[in-house]
Amino acid sequence: MTLLEVRDLRVEVAGIPIIGGLDLGFDTGKAYAILGPNGSGKSTLAKTIMGLPEYVVKGGDIQFEGESILNKSITERAKMGIAYAFQTPPAIPGIRLEDFICKICPDYACKGEDDMFMTNGCVCKDTLYDDFERLGIANLAKRDLNDGFSGGELKRSELFQVLSMRPKIMFLDEPDSGLDYDSLKIVGRELKAIRDEGRTTMVIISHHRYILEFLEIDKLFILKSGRLVYTGDMSDIPVLEEKGYEKFLEGVLPA
Amino acid sequence: MTSDNERKKRAKEALNKPARYGSDLDLEEFEYPESDIAELESLDEISSTEKQLLESVGIDPEQNRAAGAFIQLDNEAFLADVMIKQEGLEIMPLSQARQKYDWVENYLWNAVPVDTDKFTARSELEVYEGYFIRALPGVKITAPVQSCLLLKKSKSVQNVHNLIIAEEGSEMHIITGCAAPSSVERSLHLGISEFYIKRNAKLSFTMVHNWSEKTLIRPRSAAIVDENGIFVSNYVILSPLRSIQTFPRVRLVGLYAKTELNSVVNGVGESEYDIGGAVSLEARRATGKVVSRSIATDKAHIIARGDLVGLNEDTKARLECDGLLLSSQASIRAIPMLDARVEGAELSHEATVGKVGAEQLNYLMSRGLGKEEATSLIVSGFMKLEVPDLPPILQRSIEEAIELSLKGGM
Repeated sequence: MTLLEVRDLRVEVAGIPIIGGLDLGFDTGKAYAILGPNGSGKSTLAKTIMGLPEYVVKGGDIQFEGESILNKSITERAKMGIAYAFQTPPAIPGIRLEDFICKICPDYACKGEDDMFMTNGCVCKDTLYDDFERLGIANLAKRDLNDGFSGGELKRSELFQVLSMRPKIMFLDEPDSGLDYDSLKIVGRELKAIRDEGRTTMVIISHHRYILEFLEIDKLFILKSGRLVYTGDMSDIPVLEEKGYEKFLEGVLPA
Repeated sequence: MTSDNERKKRAKEALNKPARYGSDLDLEEFEYPESDIAELESLDEISSTEKQLLESVGIDPEQNRAAGAFIQLDNEAFLADVMIKQEGLEIMPLSQARQKYDWVENYLWNAVPVDTDKFTARSELEVYEGYFIRALPGVKITAPVQSCLLLKKSKSVQNVHNLIIAEEGSEMHIITGCAAPSSVERSLHLGISEFYIKRNAKLSFTMVHNWSEKTLIRPRSAAIVDENGIFVSNYVILSPLRSIQTFPRVRLVGLYAKTELNSVVNGVGESEYDIGGAVSLEARRATGKVVSRSIATDKAHIIARGDLVGLNEDTKARLECDGLLLSSQASIRAIPMLDARVEGAELSHEATVGKVGAEQLNYLMSRGLGKEEATSLIVSGFMKLEVPDLPPILQRSIEEAIELSLKGGM
């Protein structure tokens, strides 16, 4: 069943057209890769779906569970089950990562409506810490959100937050860039577990084959200049890596 | 008592001297305290409304967790109490200390010159009372010492003079709350506070203010820090008021003397805040830091000042001044001043004033928070003040007071 669908979507950023007539669909519980050369509109697509205000929809539609979400706020989209892991999230001083996770995750929510911060008596703390440990970022729990996190730490913190929201569809913007081998394995394992559960649709924007192959993605889309130019599957990845986008697309596209 | 006469003379000459900063006030429009202060026997004589006021500024009137306490109601009554097991701590009204120790006179108006302005001058010339808190040499008092001044009378002046001494090698943490019930009409809190931090002593002074909309506040504070001494001041003001102007000055007169002045201002209503701090680096290796965080809502107007004066080589101080504007009718002005008089005085500052960033807001909203919720989270994070040299219990008091005020204000 189609969960989220983009129809003839046109998007501008600061008056410059980035996406020009894009049609795509994402089914429930499947894993997708969005690939394409730099500047092809991959991140723009994800941020537009999330509803970030700099990304202005000039035409077309985005439908989630059969309903247009163009008039929905960022908050509403997040509450409907759309999540986006930022590439470079802003620092929020004074808010600890562990408190924030507790705030956004329905499973960890053990605080009163008005409580800004988690109390010492919070019962979910053990589970929360297990999750921090498994992601290898227990050291970040008491630090301020994104404040001075390294590149690899940001990726895992973003992943943890997005997973904590229990979304229906998540867009992961280069979840693997800047990670060392160990962290890459951690991230891969985490995503695989989610994929095996089969409840969450995953859309991964990436340039690297490791995560995509590890997850055994169902489908891949290649964007170029804001348009969909190729739809394929896992078997394309090695060829793509060997040839590069330009040659690969020359070979598969009609002249 | 020539020195006393000399002091009165200097005060009289300064009676019309305007304050350097802040709006001017006509000191004739208030009533001044007339009689001496009376001592209360026990907490039972304090009403429950008053106890609630104390709690609003982080003071636990039952003082379960405190080493000692001093509570003063206007200029009329006080309660001073030291826990029996706490040795080496003295708490009493200033008048009693002056009777008990001759040397107290040498400390009065020494850190704060009596002719600073008309407010200090007038304070000296009227009946005044306040607290005397002293940690004896080498005594480490880890539980906080509480003090509280309640201003209840309308159209009058609460004329306070406090003296705080941390003797050589001692350590003391004071939390002081000042509050006025909302029924108070146009009263003036005139508070002189003088701090003396001797060699190797450490003093932290955390002040939480909760005034009412019509109170005028003019504290005049100064500290003198000797060799290797540390003075940490945290000033938290969370309520509306008519106007406040304060500019405490810390003189670092001994080698390696250190100070940190933090202020957190939650500007609300139509209040006017002119709040700053000055650090005078007088001895070599002295270091200082002035941190100011303010938010302005409604029609609040905030001026955040900081003044670093480098008078000796090998000194270092930093000023951080951040303001968050939450209303288009409010204003925040950050005025950093750096004044190096010698080579080798390293002074720096960083100041930011602006609205809540759209990028931060969108980010938090993408995690499912509503716009208001996201804003309040950013604001509460911004206002969070972590002071490394503070006992956790005091850190918590500050956090709780700030949270409470932010909730009430939005």
